[in-house]
Amino acid sequence: MASSAAVPFWRTAGMTYITYSNICANLVRNCLKEPFKAEALSREKVHFSISKWAGGKPEKPILRSDTPGV
Amino acid sequence: MAMAVFRREGRRLLPSIAARPIAATTPSPLSSDREEGPFGVRSISTQVVRNRMKSVKNIQKITKAMKMVAASKLRAVQGRAENSRGLWQPFTALLGDNPSIDVKKSVVVTLSSDKGLCGGINSTVVKVSRALYKLNAGPEKDVKFVIVGEKAKAIMFRDSKNDISLTVTELNKNPLNYAQVSVLADDILKNVEFDALRIVYNKFHSVVAFLPTVATVLSPEIIEKESEVGGKLGELDSYEIEGGETKGEILQNLAEFQFSCVMFNAVLENACSEMGARMSAMDSSSRNAGEMLDRLTLTYNRTRQASITTELIEIISGASALEAAK
Repeated sequence: MASSAAVPFWRTAGMTYITYSNICANLVRNCLKEPFKAEALSREKVHFSISKWAGGKPEKPILRSDTPGV
Repeated sequence: MAMAVFRREGRRLLPSIAARPIAATTPSPLSSDREEGPFGVRSISTQVVRNRMKSVKNIQKITKAMKMVAASKLRAVQGRAENSRGLWQPFTALLGDNPSIDVKKSVVVTLSSDKGLCGGINSTVVKVSRALYKLNAGPEKDVKFVIVGEKAKAIMFRDSKNDISLTVTELNKNPLNYAQVSVLADDILKNVEFDALRIVYNKFHSVVAFLPTVATVLSPEIIEKESEVGGKLGELDSYEIEGGETKGEILQNLAEFQFSCVMFNAVLENACSEMGARMSAMDSSSRNAGEMLDRLTLTYNRTRQASITTELIEIISGASALEAAK
């Protein structure tokens, strides 16, 4: 059968399935009406700080904040 | 008569000093506060004991408050953690759980807390991670660590720092939600090559029981290989695939989503365990503070009575000396 015949557009764009589903979830949350919308969007807040290590030494940490789905 | 009273008091003081190391080992820079009675008996000034009592009482109040805060946070997270268990159960039903799988590249994801005063949970997680490292390291095999949380970072930094590939902190600053954990999972997927991911966390069984657990997530290539071998994964071919996707595609999506769900559950359970451990640590610390306070109160009362008695003796012996002189 086919190998990677129809790779979905998002995978060729470099996104993983997780990112794809997060963006879809964000779209659904934006469809809500006002009081529920604010509540749902507050559930999307992201905040953490990540740093890569090379050879036993941490590099400068990157702060990922408030960027759901990316 | 006065001497008899003092002898009685002296006997009462001696055992109290011997049994209470606090009283006996208070450092001597406070020599101005000390009184030396006859027979070489030393007693601590009431001021010192009073200060100590005040600070112990404050500590007790603080630890009690911390326990209540941890209890309320626990109640909030516990429901969410139990509900999130349903996220990865279908994956295990479909793909099985293979903790003992032998792969070339393993990545151990260690979850811990950012704050301290939570008992021994972080050190158990680190112990399990180190054990996994020993199990999986070998001539062609490679183990890397991804560390979430300050506490594990500090411990692992000491001897495994060359194997750490990513560290994540400040995850608990905002309330935990799926979006946050999924971004984190995405970062890990993009930055680390792996054949199998082993997530080490404390699973929350009850307020006093947290067991370190390992959850294994395999990469799609390994799943394909294993499905050819047979077993649970071999039954994957009996599923019909809808849409235009191939099995490899689906496996890749599934593997990523599985990782994200398992991470979400692991992070929530770890947070629950942290709160539970902090509750019991603060509870035992306030109980210890209470006991310490009781002992100090006894010492204080004895010291106070001893000083009153000494004054009385001085007055009485002074008076009787005057009488005798008359």
